[in-house]
Amino acid sequence: MIQCIALRKQYGELVAVHDLDLEIAPGEVFGFLGPNGAGKTTTIRMMVGLLEPSGGQVLLGGHDLATKPEDAKALLGYVPDQPFLYDKLTAKEFLRFIGGLYRVDREDIADRSVDLLEEFGLVDRAEELIETFSHGMKQRLALAAALIHRPRILILDEPMVGMDPQGALALRQLLSGLAASGVTIFLSTHSLGVAEELCDRIGILDHGRMVAQGTLAELRLRASEFPELSGSEDSLESVFLSLTGTEDRRA
Amino acid sequence: MSAPAAIPLGTLLAPRFLATRNAFRRRPLRAWALAFLTGAFWVGSFLLFAQTLRFFQTITALGPVLTQRLLVMLFVSFFAILVISNVVTALTTYYLSPDVRFLLVAPVTRRRIHVARFIETLGASSWMVLLFGFPVFLAYGTVFHAGPLYYGAVIATLIPFLTIPAALGVMLTTVLVLAFPARRMRDVLVVASVALVAGGYLALRLARPERLASPGELAGFAAFLAAFEAPASPYLPTTWAANVLLPFLGAETAAPLFHFALLASTAAVLAIGCTAFVERVFLTAWSRAQEGREGPGRERRLGHWLGRIASPLPHTTALLFVKDATIFFRDASQWSQLLLLLALVVVYVYNFSALPIDDGSPLAGTLREIVAFANLGLAAFVTASVAVRFVFPAISLEGRSWWALRTAPIPLTSIWWGKFWLGFLPLAVLGELLIVVTGRLLGVAPGLTAVFMATLLLVVAAIVSLGLAFGAAYPRVDTQNAAQIATGFGGLIYMVTCLGLITAVIALEAWPVSRIFWSRFASQPINGGETAAIAISFGAVTALTMTAWALGRRSALKSLKHLRV
Repeated sequence: MIQCIALRKQYGELVAVHDLDLEIAPGEVFGFLGPNGAGKTTTIRMMVGLLEPSGGQVLLGGHDLATKPEDAKALLGYVPDQPFLYDKLTAKEFLRFIGGLYRVDREDIADRSVDLLEEFGLVDRAEELIETFSHGMKQRLALAAALIHRPRILILDEPMVGMDPQGALALRQLLSGLAASGVTIFLSTHSLGVAEELCDRIGILDHGRMVAQGTLAELRLRASEFPELSGSEDSLESVFLSLTGTEDRRA
Repeated sequence: MSAPAAIPLGTLLAPRFLATRNAFRRRPLRAWALAFLTGAFWVGSFLLFAQTLRFFQTITALGPVLTQRLLVMLFVSFFAILVISNVVTALTTYYLSPDVRFLLVAPVTRRRIHVARFIETLGASSWMVLLFGFPVFLAYGTVFHAGPLYYGAVIATLIPFLTIPAALGVMLTTVLVLAFPARRMRDVLVVASVALVAGGYLALRLARPERLASPGELAGFAAFLAAFEAPASPYLPTTWAANVLLPFLGAETAAPLFHFALLASTAAVLAIGCTAFVERVFLTAWSRAQEGREGPGRERRLGHWLGRIASPLPHTTALLFVKDATIFFRDASQWSQLLLLLALVVVYVYNFSALPIDDGSPLAGTLREIVAFANLGLAAFVTASVAVRFVFPAISLEGRSWWALRTAPIPLTSIWWGKFWLGFLPLAVLGELLIVVTGRLLGVAPGLTAVFMATLLLVVAAIVSLGLAFGAAYPRVDTQNAAQIATGFGGLIYMVTCLGLITAVIALEAWPVSRIFWSRFASQPINGGETAAIAISFGAVTALTMTAWALGRRSALKSLKHLRV
């Protein structure tokens, strides 16, 4: 459902993402991990069409994002790490606008807006300007907007940041439900617990390179190659530290 | 345990200074261009002002009075602008700027924070007055052959003169923040400042300064200026400031030192009072500003009505129209600019109605011809001025929400067309109305008016396309105020480009329009060769404007493709 083929981003001499290859099946939840500055957001921005790759291809549902961007984007729901929304629109107006961009039927937008605002606990604030919302509320509204057109692919960049525990729990349940209904989810997160709980497969990016990808079991096996770093623990945290470890080990 | 040493003021002021320095270092070309334009402005203002002062000197009886009154009026104008500017700036520097929280949690005393913010407010509010004031004071000094003492006195006067409105502005803002929600207050202040500027502009024009050119009328105007008593009250800092400088310009006003003492002591008392007041209430006021978000009120359902208006437009264009128009009417910094636009249109039409073209003199006939030529250029210039305010910021206003549009399954060309029609339709209606109304006032033949209308339509298309191109190339997503977006380097370059285009169009059409005009006015029929030349001229105008349109479109799409927010 999501395919990255030799995806590359270069800023002058600096290579932010090195020829990344990735394939995610329909209905799969893929966790995208990596230390700060590893190139996760750059990769995601290329995958959703916000940034032009220096090389390689992104295919969404088989549609090339470079040559058929509208077909590819029609399948996509995206929530950025910083949910900047239109401050002077109300929540309801924002959902109507986004639904319109995805050509959702007017009646369907109205019904779906009510459902989504209800689901994300924003129904009482539907007629208020977004500028009065807290960060967590904006995050929830961005999620609602990403789902308004029933996307087949959902790409989320750090969706739990700024959310309260209830919101985070509701989101985890929602993502599980969406995955069960066949939606492909690409989730970038720093929360190893979330990745461990939700993801079928995990990819670890470091210095713009995919240093490992696979199921948690496969990653543990891979990490066991570095017993001095992973120790006796077999949690994702120790796996992550083993694979992204220290400069010395990488050297 | 001893108290921690006070943080140096330089440390607190460093971020603003370093940010400005870095901006100039990153774009040295821009810095040089700005320096050049500032220099050109200074030279132009200096020459104009010196000329006016020399003209006043030739009026034997009233000259000195006029000179003095003019200086007082300048100080009064500067003072009014400074108070408003300080109130608006202080609201941001003290209460809305996100970096205040860093200072509040740091071990910095409130007095220190206040002093740093006060200097920042004073600087941000006063630079414009200094920019305008420099050539004015220099002109006074040059025309009246003032010595070095005069220039020292100017500097010494300006320091307390700028401090007084800064202290008043900061105190007034603090009182207002304590009384009202900060965001609502910002809207009110924005609208009030724009209304004041628009009102001042209207008043200035409707006062008919062109009367100065006529000796008969000048006496009346001079009498008015001489009788301009109110601001010359002995209790006003503006009078004190003028009285410090006037003796250096040959006036016989007594006691410049006394007036300087009044000015300096008032500034000192206000600065100390302001410090004591703000230090005491700052945390309360700051907390209030943070709580002062608009409460859970329901917004008017603008979308419903706008949706109806937009229903004939294509789907994406209609969506963008409704979204942009809703935001426009809810954002005070955007809709308030309509007041300026209204003032501009009123003055424009008034200018034509006030022209002496119906007095039957030979001058009137020539004037009519010149104005008929200039009308198209002026209407195009008005349209460009409006475009820099409304079209140029269109991309920047998408701001950090750009991701929502960019990740949606709509091509960039749709977004571009949406923005283009939103700019083109209202501007075309405005421009055409100006042409028709002024054409009637001037008695321009319907055929010529049609030519102007067709030309303006092409020019407006090019202006809007260029506005989107420059807006996308020089986006300013960091500001919440739409009016500020147009005042940057990109807006300046855009205006210069528009002026170049308009000049080229006028140059290309000058001869054919003149020929058509005289064929009617002096009954000189146009022959075959001339018809061909006229057709070539209009063809060149079409080619030029359409090339500008196409280049603008291509450039905008390219910039939008690489726009990173």
